[in-house]
Formats: sequence, structure tokens, C-alpha cells
Amino acid sequence: MVSCSILNESLANNMDKMIDDEMLVTQFKSGIQKAFDELMKRYERRIFSYLLRSVRNYEDAEELTLEVFFKAYRALGSWEPKAKFSTWLYTIASNLSIDYHRSKSRHPVFTFEDEDVIEKRLVATDISSNPEKQLEDKERGEIIRAAVDELSAKQKEVFMLTRYEGLQIKEVADTLGMAEGTVKIHLHRAIKKLQTLLQPLWENNEI
Amino acid sequence: MTKCNISEAHIMDYVTGELDDTDVAEYRHHLRTCNYCIREVNALKHVLQLVDTAEAEITPNAIVPTDLNSKLYRRLAEEPIQKPSVQSRFTDFISRLGLILQIQKPAVVGLFAVAAIAVTLLVGNPFNNEPTFEVNQSESADARIEQYHHQGIQRSMEDVIRNKNLRHSDEWNTVSQLNRVKDQAKGTDWAVIANKHLKGVSSKL
Repeated sequence: MVSCSILNESLANNMDKMIDDEMLVTQFKSGIQKAFDELMKRYERRIFSYLLRSVRNYEDAEELTLEVFFKAYRALGSWEPKAKFSTWLYTIASNLSIDYHRSKSRHPVFTFEDEDVIEKRLVATDISSNPEKQLEDKERGEIIRAAVDELSAKQKEVFMLTRYEGLQIKEVADTLGMAEGTVKIHLHRAIKKLQTLLQPLWENNEI
Repeated sequence: MTKCNISEAHIMDYVTGELDDTDVAEYRHHLRTCNYCIREVNALKHVLQLVDTAEAEITPNAIVPTDLNSKLYRRLAEEPIQKPSVQSRFTDFISRLGLILQIQKPAVVGLFAVAAIAVTLLVGNPFNNEPTFEVNQSESADARIEQYHHQGIQRSMEDVIRNKNLRHSDEWNTVSQLNRVKDQAKGTDWAVIANKHLKGVSSKL
């Protein structure tokens, strides 16, 4: 295994953004473990952010992120690329997120402290800012995020993937296994629903 | 304000950046004179801006768990190895037999099936006659990862032999597959095994 460790070392030294994901997948398939570490380093923040937005709970998002990479690690050896690696990763994350919401709807749990947990983990912001305004902003943010959570599972997935993960309609279609037209319909309905849900707020000059 | 003939989907596409450059230019031209569309576009942009701000309050600053990588390997090490069940091995055997039925003439099929069953009964699965690696559950994540690597090579090797024997893959294809396995197995005993098969196939070319 000496040759493998030499390869690992040289990979660690040379691995930078010049190496595309597909090349790393090939390297992983040929037994270079560091290739998976690099893939994980590239995507853990994005997948974690996506799942945090989806499940709104830091601990659960962490658990699901780990699950995404666990499943990816186990399946990557036999994975035949039909789409980009990132699309495949989002597909795993999306499926896990849908399962999570299904299981939560079957076993509803009160998570009053969830928002607080997230807030506590925020990096300290400007200490000179007005506390009252911060409270208003926080409440407003919570109301808007609650409106996003009112979207159907598919509407929310499509909205999140296009809006915050920077995926093109085609990539979202591949990720969620839908036709491009269906993705667009979900996206349009999501935005329309958000407009309807949030309209009372700005009509009352609250936002 | 009179409603515009432009469809809602078109307005949405404009706001979400889904229109191509020509359509964007045309629609912008239209916006100069259509108050209805201006109002719709502004309302949608406002909604999206609000949601963007609310979402940005959570994620960009949220601290990503730092040790995900080591947690992953710990999790992999804890996962029990899934050995194929008797049922799945039987199903696998039947499916291989089915494949032969599709491609072989009946007489040869009969002969081959009898031979395959006899070999399976006498010496076990002929595709699993390569060395296997057993790692104790208590061994480290590194050992488990090493084991995954070997299992991967073993699967590739089995694929080559299966293709060669059952699908009448041509020699050139087998050589190229064996070369891939050899590269994958570099530094391990598997490379020697792949090389042995490679010599056998190459001599027929």
C-alpha cells in the first residue's frame, strides 16, 4: 500500500480547484481516499446550508449532512455519472430532507427552541446596532421563514435549489427527477404563494 | 389599471432570470410603457428580496460543523458489513442463468446450467474464488476504509469475469477492463491476480 499512500500525499499537495469533481470521483473509484475528502470539503458547507434551510434545526441539519456524505461514500464506487456530481449530492440531500419532513409530519415534535438554537450559533454581529430593531428584524425574519415553510415540500425544494443553491432549472429537474416544465410550475407557484402569504404584512406597513 | 396580455409565467420567468437575452430586451422595452407589468414585477421582486433577507439571516453566518469528515469515517467504521443473504445469492445465480438463456442456444444452455449447478454445489460460487479480506469490527476506520477499497476491487474483478464468461465480451474489452482493475488494485495482491488474467486473455489476441 506504499504506492497508494504516496499517491495520497501527492494528491493532497496538488489538489486544488483545477481538479474537477468528476476527476476526483474517478480518483476515488481507483482507491484514493483523499479524493472523497476533497469532494466533502467542497460541498459540506453548501449541503449543510441547504439542509439547514430545509429543516430549520441545526442538529438535524448536521445529522442529515453526515447522512448525505455517508450515502455518497457508500454509493460512489458504483455511481455512473448521468449528471454532475453536485446534482447527485443534492438529490441525496433532497430525498433525505423529504423523508425528514414526512417523518416529522407523522411524529410532530414541538421545537420552540429551534430558532433560538440557530440564533445562538450565529456569528456575533455588529454590537452597536439597536437591540429593538434587532428584535423587530428577528420577528420579521421568523414570519417570512414561516411563510416559506408553508410551501408544499416540492415547491420549497424547487424554490431553495434555484434561489439559494444556484442550480439551473435543468439541474433542479435532474436533482428532483422532474420535467423542466414541472420545476418551473412549482417555482412559479411557490413565488405566487409567498406573495399571497406575505401581502398582509406589507399592506399593514409591517415590512 | 388594465391587466396586461403578457402571461404571468412570462413575468415570473423575467423575475427569476429564466428568460433569454432577446426576451429580456423585449420585455424591458415593454416595461417602459406598461404600468401593470411594472407593478407586478416590483411586487414579485419585493417578495423575493424579503425572503432572501430572511433566509440570509440564518445560513451564511451559521457555523458549519467542523469535524464532519472524522464523524463520517467514524460512522463508516461503526457500520456493520452487509454480507449478501442466501436469498440474494440465489437470485443473483438465477439472474445470471437467465442472461445465459437469452444469449445461448438451448443445448449449450442445458450443458452449461448443469455444469454451473455442479460447480456451485461442489466448490461454491465460481465468481467468489478470489481472496477476501475480513476485518474485525473493532478495528480502526482506516482498516475499514482499506477493506472498502479491497471490496471495490473484488467487485470490479467479478464484473470482468462475469462479462468475459457470460456476455461474450470481446478480448479487447476484457483486456481494457482488466487493465482498469490492475490500475485500481495497484500495490495490492489483486494487481497480481489481474495481471495473471490479463496474460491469459492477451495470449489469445
